[in-house]
Amino acid sequence: MRAKAIIGDIKASVKNWYRNKAALFWTLAFPILLILLFGEIFSGGNESYTIYIKDMDDSTLSHALINAMNNISIINLQPIGKNADVKEYAKKHAVLEIPHDFQNAIFEGKRCNLTLYLDPSKEQTNSAIRSFISGIVNEINLRFNNASIIVGYEEKYVVEEQFKYIDFFIPGIIGMTIMTSAIYGSIEINVKYRKRGMLKKLLTTPLQKGEWILSKMIYQLMISFISTIAIIAVGITVFHLKASFNFTSILIIIAASFAFTGIGMIIARFVNEEETADSAASAITFPMMFLAGTFFPLEIMPSFLQIVAKILPLYYVNEGLRNAMIYHDGNAAMLNAVVIATFAIIVFGIGVVLTNWKEE
Amino acid sequence: MNVIEVRGLTKVYGNVVAVDNISFDVRKGEVFSLLGPNGAGKTTTVEIIEGIRKPTKGEIKVFGGKVERAKEKIGVLPQEFQSMERLTVRETLEYFSSFYKKSMDIEELIEMVGLTEKKNTLYKNLSGGQKRALGVAIALVNDPSLIFLDEPTTGLDPAARRNLWKAIRKLKEGRKTVFLTTHYMEEAEYLADRVAIMHHGKIIAIDEPYKLIEKYGEKTRVIIKKIDSEEEMEINDEREIAKIIEKLKEKGIKYERIEIKRPTLEDVFLKLTGEGLT
Ligand SMILES: Nc1ncnc2c1ncn2[C@@H]1O[C@H](COP(=O)(O)OP(=O)(O)O)[C@@H](O)[C@H]1O
Ligand SMILES: [Mg+2]
Repeated sequence: MRAKAIIGDIKASVKNWYRNKAALFWTLAFPILLILLFGEIFSGGNESYTIYIKDMDDSTLSHALINAMNNISIINLQPIGKNADVKEYAKKHAVLEIPHDFQNAIFEGKRCNLTLYLDPSKEQTNSAIRSFISGIVNEINLRFNNASIIVGYEEKYVVEEQFKYIDFFIPGIIGMTIMTSAIYGSIEINVKYRKRGMLKKLLTTPLQKGEWILSKMIYQLMISFISTIAIIAVGITVFHLKASFNFTSILIIIAASFAFTGIGMIIARFVNEEETADSAASAITFPMMFLAGTFFPLEIMPSFLQIVAKILPLYYVNEGLRNAMIYHDGNAAMLNAVVIATFAIIVFGIGVVLTNWKEE
Repeated sequence: MNVIEVRGLTKVYGNVVAVDNISFDVRKGEVFSLLGPNGAGKTTTVEIIEGIRKPTKGEIKVFGGKVERAKEKIGVLPQEFQSMERLTVRETLEYFSSFYKKSMDIEELIEMVGLTEKKNTLYKNLSGGQKRALGVAIALVNDPSLIFLDEPTTGLDPAARRNLWKAIRKLKEGRKTVFLTTHYMEEAEYLADRVAIMHHGKIIAIDEPYKLIEKYGEKTRVIIKKIDSEEEMEINDEREIAKIIEKLKEKGIKYERIEIKRPTLEDVFLKLTGEGLT
């Protein structure tokens, strides 16, 4: 293994990629378009900005605050009792808790905090409510304390998260993009390069097959990570996705890249024509995309299709990414990762053995 | 000294004998050309020597051993080779040079194949001739002492072909050994020190071009076009032409022009096989 040859090959592949508008479209623009489109359709519109108010102080000043807030027309305040379970209410709408020392603190110039309980899955509503509350807090400070900050506010998230469609959807799109770019990329390299005499040419240079395969894998991983990062970035900025990019998710992405590249190599071994290879790739990727729970949860599909899904590698990629990045179910994610990694080792191994530069 | 030695090489595909028990040597520093029509078995032969295909039978030595051990010292332009679409001329050469220990100066190489003005152009935007010229440059990137060119000018227009010929000629001056396959007899005649004529998988003649012509070609003919008639004669030696002109002068015969028809490798091929080359 010589670093110079491997780096040379990676550099060439990357240049060839970012200058290819079609490749950029499929690896970046297309998944992002899907997210924007479906994310918007299925996320639905916002409820009115209902805020439950839990007044622990029950003082003149706290009543004045509630009155002031009632005057803001878009906010719909609903008082809840002092003993109400904040966490239960917060699953439906945000809860604002006024502390019991609210009035005293203001009169004595001591610091106190309003507490805002939010559901992390309703980030769009949350950001609106957050800005109302911070506006109100500023106003109080200005009126009573000449703008020196006495009243602050803190946010608390209710623990049980509720997941939205977008949380389900984005890991699926990541899985789909890794699958398509790895399968098509591998076919392109193996079939097209053969057709163009490139493999013959490489065979006559000192570049070793192992160096070449390693370089292409590193390149494919780079593409997978670029796609993933772009997709997550859009998810976070547009849909306030709360995804964590942890070790297990990285492991799943790597295993998925190897697995699908291996599938591509195997196809390329048996199909010599570019068009036929593309059709073979479509015949594998399209059904897998729909059957493996990329766009919709498996539960809505007939039970025999649910069984089919469980033999598809993409299912484990999608589920694994969801468990790792969104649901924070480490054990389930690790189990998925192990399934994909095992599959990857087998398929990629077969691919490497079958990859043959020699002509008949 | 022989750079390549081929002994009893045979390649069979199903019931097609693509290469039929051929033996030949390629000497150090020569341009050796395998000339024959499409399907003669040229590509099969050259790709077996390069280690791309396996022979059915026969022994091949490159630099006295296996070609796999000589990869640093050889340069190959496969038939119908296409490089990566979206690399520039210079990037393409840098890419291939990264595989080798030794590398030629890229700028010099670009200059040599006449692509200086195109060095920052993407491969896919080059003309057919420029792509082929780059292919030759790629084959030279490691400053090899043995270069294989499989049909380097097929499909090119005459001007592009001439340019590439000039570049290949320069290799000879650099004392490199060139193994060239072609179905253009002018190409073999212009470039080759020795030509092996291949037909149906067999080498039917092998020698220096002029010797082949001397041996198998018709005689050179001199045609004197007079005002109202023409006279044709065969000569054995081109020095006889001077005598013919002298005689015309002596006799005061008026003529419009004199045509000299020399036999070509095409004629040699025709004579040997009863078929045309293309
Ligand atoms: N991979 C192959 N499979 C089957 N037949 C082949 C293969 N390669 C070449 N041939 C046959 O071998 C013969 C010689 O082909 P080739 O070496 O390409 O000739 P040339 O390069 O002189 O045009 C042809 O009849 C061709 O059809
Ligand atoms: Mg050929």
